[in-house]
Amino acid sequence: MMGIDTRAAKPDATSVQAGASTAADERRLNLLRQIALAGGTITPRVEPNAKHGYAYAALGDEVERDLAILSKRNYLEARFFDRVSLCPKCDSHHLNIREVCPSCRRAHLESQGLIHHFRCGYVGIPSEFLPSAEGTYRCPKCNCKMHHLGVQFDRLGKAFVCQGCGVISENPPVEAVCFSCGKQTSADDLVSTIVFSYVLTSRGAAAIRQGSFDSDEELVCIGGVTVYRRKVILEFFNHEMKRLRYFNIGFSVLLANCRASIMDQSGEDSSTSWLTRLRSFLREVDLIGQLTDSLYVVILPQTQQHEAEQLKQRIIAGLGPQSAFSLSAIEMNEHRSAEFLARNDQHDAPS
Amino acid sequence: MNGFLHYFLSALNPMANLGFSRAIAELISSELPGWWLMFVVTFLAVVLPAVLYWLLSLVRSDLVRPPLSFRSGQAQPLVSLVIAGRNEAATIGQAIRGALLCGYANLEVIFVDDNSEDNSVNVARRAALSVTGYRKDGDRVRIFPSPRRNGKASSLNIGIRMARGEFIAITDADSVIQYGSIEHWLLPFADPRVGGVAANIRVNNSTVNLLTRFQEIEYGTKTVSKSILAHMNLLYIISGMGGIFRAEILRRLFGFDTGLGDDRDLTMMLRKQRWKIGFAIDAVVWTTVPVTRDHLWRQRARWRRNVVKICLSKHRDQFILGRYGFANAVVALQLLFTRLLLPLMLVIGVFWAMFEFGPMEVPEVLVTSYWLMLLYLLIVMLITRDLATTPKPKNFWLVFLYPFYLLFVVTPANIYAELAELFRIGAKHHYVPDHVWEEIPWW
Repeated sequence: MMGIDTRAAKPDATSVQAGASTAADERRLNLLRQIALAGGTITPRVEPNAKHGYAYAALGDEVERDLAILSKRNYLEARFFDRVSLCPKCDSHHLNIREVCPSCRRAHLESQGLIHHFRCGYVGIPSEFLPSAEGTYRCPKCNCKMHHLGVQFDRLGKAFVCQGCGVISENPPVEAVCFSCGKQTSADDLVSTIVFSYVLTSRGAAAIRQGSFDSDEELVCIGGVTVYRRKVILEFFNHEMKRLRYFNIGFSVLLANCRASIMDQSGEDSSTSWLTRLRSFLREVDLIGQLTDSLYVVILPQTQQHEAEQLKQRIIAGLGPQSAFSLSAIEMNEHRSAEFLARNDQHDAPS
Repeated sequence: MNGFLHYFLSALNPMANLGFSRAIAELISSELPGWWLMFVVTFLAVVLPAVLYWLLSLVRSDLVRPPLSFRSGQAQPLVSLVIAGRNEAATIGQAIRGALLCGYANLEVIFVDDNSEDNSVNVARRAALSVTGYRKDGDRVRIFPSPRRNGKASSLNIGIRMARGEFIAITDADSVIQYGSIEHWLLPFADPRVGGVAANIRVNNSTVNLLTRFQEIEYGTKTVSKSILAHMNLLYIISGMGGIFRAEILRRLFGFDTGLGDDRDLTMMLRKQRWKIGFAIDAVVWTTVPVTRDHLWRQRARWRRNVVKICLSKHRDQFILGRYGFANAVVALQLLFTRLLLPLMLVIGVFWAMFEFGPMEVPEVLVTSYWLMLLYLLIVMLITRDLATTPKPKNFWLVFLYPFYLLFVVTPANIYAELAELFRIGAKHHYVPDHVWEEIPWW
């Protein structure tokens, strides 16, 4: 943990002034505030006239660009929402995607079941088997009547039959026609782009509280309680895992899932009080970190499962059953660690 | 008769220098029809044409190996390669990759999986993607996994229905097309009377054991005779391991019939419609031959049963002179003689000789036959080696053992199959599923 400044970051008038010095930063801070007011998440909605068919419910001309920048700087977490196919020529998403005949490239296809006549081995589409006077099929090859499905003939599953040239194909190629420029493109050649939803990170929440974008502070200070950012607390977590492997010194974690949003309408921190009280139950060596907007983790070094459980019971008893968060205690081992990290390692960064 | 037997006995005497020089004169003066049928006719029908053909190749090599008349910018016709197979996961990948990489751009591959119980479909898809990548996969390789087992002929019919090429090539799932072969395969179609062209089948796994080496010799020695027969419009089979057809003809024939050897039956149907059958010596298809005696027995028995079914039953009207042309009648008679009567005559002759002269005399007859067969075979092998670069020189020593391969491995299977088919013993074709077998006509 070389280079980590463990001092709590305090709002500083100079830095606030410097942080909000540019219009772009101010615009992005406003964007973060809008996201916080919307519950900490901004999700794209379908908008046919938008560039990629999706638009974000936020004010501003450069919302998409700002979201990508904020995500890159870890103020927002990008999460996969959808993939959009685009025309490689004009970048439009107004595409007509459909199967085409592999021979004549027309989309005039019809799905039909092939018929196989056992007696002569003829295979054809139903329209070739002319109905006889009795209403049964008649094989065009051997002219025999076909009465019983499964005994005299069978259906071989569906296939696409081109109504233009008659070619039969099981998996016809897929092609797209752009409604904007008219270009015909094989589905494999389409350009695709990923649309993200964005979630406010602890760093983003701290930026809102401070009114500025901090530099690279590792700490978030909530109501005087030292809370590490997600990236930093995960570093501590990995360090404890190393201690576990090398010295067999176990540790546990407490996961605190906050039921209410940490931000109220005015942007004030509503979790300050319970976080302060939570801290009062912990030892000095215990570390608190914020994984997501509502999920906190407490690393308890040299603590076994039963000790963590006892601590958890003490906290619940101290805060009361109607407290604003739920707690779970887990003693870590290799398997649980992998699960924990996998669950908390789902960053989808925009390209 | 005494003169003939005297010849055989004297041939066994090493001191008599095998008696060949003396035997010729004796044979000419002999009035034994059996001799003429067994050896003189064989010489005239097999060895002499091969020698003449070889001499012709020295003078007019373009007649034997037509040169490619490729011009840059010339449009290549679309060729659809249809492969049908069941439980062919071990070989289908190689077959598809070989086809896609054979150097012919305008080729589509259609693999019809006959409801395999193994991983054939996935192997085929992976093989296709390994060559084509994910781009335009649907255009070059199409795979039809059949939801129910239908048999080889019906599976090929599915492939023919899906094919969109001007020409339809058919190979087995264990066969690989050699690089550059398709262009040679298409050459005979310059003649509009040619309906189908047989490929030159070579053995892919000849180094596995003695049995596969014998089969390499066997396939190789047929190369020259096929080439000669094609020039004479007498070629009677386009092997299922490698054949190419005009697509319109296959569609007009409604594809293959079930319950028969698909290749021979289709060739007969083509011939009856007066289409010429070509042979391309440079269109090489490498096939995997049986490596065990049991497998070989089953394969040869199946082939021979099909000869009986097709020649004596389904297409027996070919024997009527004038109905389908003189050439077709000759083909039918030749098949009847060489494929059906000759092996039976051999066995009957041996038993007759044993009965007539006692068992001690029979080996001497066989030994004399052995030396003559060896001589014929050596001549044909040398010519084949020169024209078609097969068999391998290191396998030439097997010529001494090859007659035993024919006598003890191939001929018993053929005779058993002929008799079994004639008396309808075990007639059920294991290539055909039960529900199809119950419906097909008795040929």
